[in-house]
Amino acid sequence: MGIRTILWEKWREFLRDFSRITLAAMIAPLMYLIVFGWGIRTTMNGQPYLYYMIPGVISLTTMNGSFNAIAQNLNVQRLYEKAFDQVIISPTPLWQFIAGQIIAGSLRGLYAGGVILLLVLPINTGLTFNLLTFVILFLNGAVFSALGIVVSFLARNHADVPRFSNYFIMPMAYLCNTFFSTDQIPHGAREFIAALPLSQTSRMVRSISVGEQPNLIGIVILLSYLVIFTAIGLYFVYKKKNL
Amino acid sequence: MIELKNLTKTFDNFTAVDSLSLRIETGEFFALLGPNGAGKTTTIGMLSTLLLPTSGEIYIDDELLTRQRKDIKRKVSVITQEYSMRQDMDMDEIMEYQGRLYFIPVKKIRARTEELFEFAGLTQHRHKTIRKLSGGMKRKLMVCRALLTDPEILLLDEPTAGMDAISRRQMWNLLRQLNEQGLTILLTTHYIEEAQNLCNRVALMNNGKLEEVDTPANLINHLGAYAVDEMQTDGIHSSYFHQRQEAIEYLSKLEGTCTLRDTTLEDVFVEQAGKRLS
Repeated sequence: MGIRTILWEKWREFLRDFSRITLAAMIAPLMYLIVFGWGIRTTMNGQPYLYYMIPGVISLTTMNGSFNAIAQNLNVQRLYEKAFDQVIISPTPLWQFIAGQIIAGSLRGLYAGGVILLLVLPINTGLTFNLLTFVILFLNGAVFSALGIVVSFLARNHADVPRFSNYFIMPMAYLCNTFFSTDQIPHGAREFIAALPLSQTSRMVRSISVGEQPNLIGIVILLSYLVIFTAIGLYFVYKKKNL
Repeated sequence: MIELKNLTKTFDNFTAVDSLSLRIETGEFFALLGPNGAGKTTTIGMLSTLLLPTSGEIYIDDELLTRQRKDIKRKVSVITQEYSMRQDMDMDEIMEYQGRLYFIPVKKIRARTEELFEFAGLTQHRHKTIRKLSGGMKRKLMVCRALLTDPEILLLDEPTAGMDAISRRQMWNLLRQLNEQGLTILLTTHYIEEAQNLCNRVALMNNGKLEEVDTPANLINHLGAYAVDEMQTDGIHSSYFHQRQEAIEYLSKLEGTCTLRDTTLEDVFVEQAGKRLS
């Protein structure tokens, strides 16, 4: 099965770059937690702001982890190393390549989120993270891995992926229910931002963390994004005339 | 057997390959020759499904080749002009990845890798990452990788580019052996000598079009098997003769430095280019 081949490839990559991947996953979220949670001590709804922020930071970490694991890597393989050519030439069905990348990217996102969870574990926050949390985070990772595939195929040079990150991924990291509720965003922009995948993930993870029942419509929205991005990725690998 | 039917590839307004029709028989050693921009690499690109044709079809053993046809793709291995390998993997990983992409059991991949590395003299370098290898070693590894999958058809795009003379000869010997074992080989090359030494037939391409297809011997005989080179102030001028006696008679009338020699495929190539320029 081609999916196993891709998972093997990504696993080897993970083992090779274990320390770099782990450090990269930790730095930004750790800074958010230190600066906004511990440095600027404030409260939200009568609770330390840190407690509000943790679910958002974990969600955005899985987003970054998954997107970065796929987009930049695939872009380099396609434009610079040309290693992707061998995948196209090989008999491995290309849908299996896409599926393998999405699963591997989700797992990398989950790993990054897991590292942050471990880091905040010593803080007695009373927040709850259960199996559904991990399912949602995995789905979030899948959405951003699939987006990473699309971006890597759209990129015309190596600078395009970081550029996309700057214009789309970074604003999402700040605006999508991570550091403050989308309810505070002016009408018009609010609806748009609330419909973004990270907003849905943060909202659901936060609900679970405080013991509330999450609005599972968010899962349907995440699945919709996943289907759309995967379909675009499949279009590229099967139909694009010049890969 | 490879068959190209009216194969055309355009990029925006530029036609890289123009209605190319060609048939390469099983077990044949075939070369695509042509100047830069003739459409050779684009043709290999379509044969390896990296590029999809704008129009026309490719058949492998009478089956239409598409990106979805894994049964056909399994028969083909490609050595691309660029190294097309992950730079952070070592040689063993490159081989295992390739084998897995072709659904070869891991035990078999490892056993075959041993054989191929031994054969190519790469065993002692197997744990080096790709970025630490010399160009020649990368080429050898690409050959090992292509042979790992036991292909029926081998496509090579400039396989000896950047290789020193000894490595190039080694590569020629290897390709000749593989062809003798029944492997169908299609290569593009800038080394005309390579095509003349190795190939059963060659195709001359220019501006995406096929100009001539024949055996190297026929192409040479058509031009004239004997060449007389005259050193003139503006360079070397060559004249071609079908009979040796004719060439000797011509030579005897010349003054200055001149030589009589056998015509090569390169002469055919240069003459074709000269005709186009004039």
